[in-house]
Amino acid sequence: MADDDKFTDINGKAIFLECQNHSSFCREFTVSAPKVSLLRVMVYTCSVWLVAYVVFFLTENTAVLSGAIFVTLVGMLLHIHFVKIDQETLLIIGSLGVQLSSSYASGRESTTFIEMSKIKDIVINEAIYMQGVIYYLCILLKDPTDPDTVSSVVPLFQSSKPRLNCLVKVYKSCQEILAKC
Amino acid sequence: MMGQRRTAGPTASFSSKTKDGVAAGQQDSTKHNICMVSDFFYPNMGGVESHIYQLSQCLIERGHKVIIATHAYGNRKGIRYLTNGLKVYYLPLQVMYNQSTATTCFHSLPLLRCVFVRERITVVHAHSSFSAMAHDSLFHAKTMGLNTVFTDHSLFGFADVSSVLTNKLLTVSLCDTNHIICVSYTSKENTVLRAALDPEIVSVIPNAVDPTDFTPDPSQRDDSKITIVVVSRLVYRKGIDLLGGIIPELCLKYPDLQFLIGGEGPKRIVLEEVREKYQLHDRVRLLGALEHKDVRNVLIQGHIFLNTSLTEAFCMAIVEGASCGLQVVSTRVGGIPEVLPEDLITLCEPTVSSLCQGLEMVIARQRAGTVPPPAAIHSRVRTLYTWRNVAERTEKVYDRVAKEVVLPLDRRLVRLRAHCGSVAGSIFAFVAVLDFLFLLLLQWLIPDSLIDVAIDASGPQGLWGQRRARKRELNANHHEGTGTG
Repeated sequence: MADDDKFTDINGKAIFLECQNHSSFCREFTVSAPKVSLLRVMVYTCSVWLVAYVVFFLTENTAVLSGAIFVTLVGMLLHIHFVKIDQETLLIIGSLGVQLSSSYASGRESTTFIEMSKIKDIVINEAIYMQGVIYYLCILLKDPTDPDTVSSVVPLFQSSKPRLNCLVKVYKSCQEILAKC
Repeated sequence: MMGQRRTAGPTASFSSKTKDGVAAGQQDSTKHNICMVSDFFYPNMGGVESHIYQLSQCLIERGHKVIIATHAYGNRKGIRYLTNGLKVYYLPLQVMYNQSTATTCFHSLPLLRCVFVRERITVVHAHSSFSAMAHDSLFHAKTMGLNTVFTDHSLFGFADVSSVLTNKLLTVSLCDTNHIICVSYTSKENTVLRAALDPEIVSVIPNAVDPTDFTPDPSQRDDSKITIVVVSRLVYRKGIDLLGGIIPELCLKYPDLQFLIGGEGPKRIVLEEVREKYQLHDRVRLLGALEHKDVRNVLIQGHIFLNTSLTEAFCMAIVEGASCGLQVVSTRVGGIPEVLPEDLITLCEPTVSSLCQGLEMVIARQRAGTVPPPAAIHSRVRTLYTWRNVAERTEKVYDRVAKEVVLPLDRRLVRLRAHCGSVAGSIFAFVAVLDFLFLLLLQWLIPDSLIDVAIDASGPQGLWGQRRARKRELNANHHEGTGTG
């Protein structure tokens, strides 16, 4: 069973939430952002090259042009490898734990797993982000010495930053599973 | 500006919810969404801080939605909840001097706008003229087309350069504010003169004390001696230099007299010098900074409460002293003569000799046993100033303000130039225009529809109280949990 929904992130860009019900105690949420748009790549490349050309025109030094090509290539590589996240997945398995994975535009994936025994709860929290106040979903981790206190907070969907209506949907289905174990 | 206000309001999808504050109010009494703004709030301690807290609690009890915005204190940043779902925004704004933020008139707009929009604020209530953030928020709220209320907690002079400048700033800030609240008639007079206001829009609502916090307990005091208690910040304004003059004079005359001084501040050195010079270590005890909950424990150890303030708009301390059943001796300055009935307070001129005379008179009465018992004083004071009464009166101000129209930009500019002199008026009119343009830029960058509407903790749709009510209901039938943790 799976359904696909369209939401927006806090900047108004469209994102997609995909919920997959593997079984009654195992659910997977995937938030995917739109791919790198060709237009933006073109705009950035062109602007860097234009600036480089102006500098070249003034200084008549060809190293500027090769430098600009190098900068755009490396910049693009770094961007898709370390910055641009295409998909963020939250896999929650009752009584076992939560797996968070994010896949970068280059195809690189990073995955972390949190055992259920360490998780205190999953909540929606508010935070001041840049020049505004946003809602975000986070996992509260138990303090190993004192299980009643929260030792740290793991924010979810950090790069896609969905809006509240999307978070509430994920939150409610997570709570259903947490309530069962 | 009403049109603009609508655009500044929440999105269409939430507009059904918005009606609770505005439209639903027409059926029963209006419920407001109030944002209290001040630089001063807990963990900072003082009169303004507790005023904001107590007033907010009583307004929540009356069914309004209240949030508080202040600046971040150390690592206390972000959003916190206090008792009964009172939500506090600790915004990361740079602190400049004395816990007051720096003002540039603009940099706080994005954050404050976000708070006002997501909380669907209808009334912005700023506190304290020392707080730059309060003035900033008034300025932005007027730009956004929200109703504004300002409470002034302090008195000012007219003569020195710093007061001339603050008075000018206050004139600019208050000339288009909907309503101003002062804590005493003296304070009202002062504010009206300073800010060149129409007295019609200035209300007097005194401060209050929580009488259950300040109950007398005569068993705690040592009746073989006479103890004079002073609880105040040790700063120039509180007349600590006078206190330094009184202590040696009275200690010489009365060997059974002792002083108990609570509070901290730059003038502590004066008292320490006096103690050193006259060898009064066993009779003058300096307790240092007191937490609010410890104040009562200090007060009940004394017979006489002494206040030596040089300027004071209302003075909560003497009410607290009297509520604990102490004889109050105070200087006759500012709004103090209005605070207590004449037979509960001995007023003196702010000089050492006059204060000594007053204290000697009270000591003589204390010795003769002709003072009323502490319980009798307490029972008279407890009904004088209550927070519920303050909240009721403040609510009336909000009701009145909510009916008023916020000046549109063009009329605001005319008002600024007419009220604040041609130079300052023109400068601030220019700043107001810039602020308006900045707001338009922000509305284009982040439209209001992209700001998620916050879930109410207090107010008509507040989840905080409902959760408790639901718990009670839980035994009867099982409800499905809503809300977000």
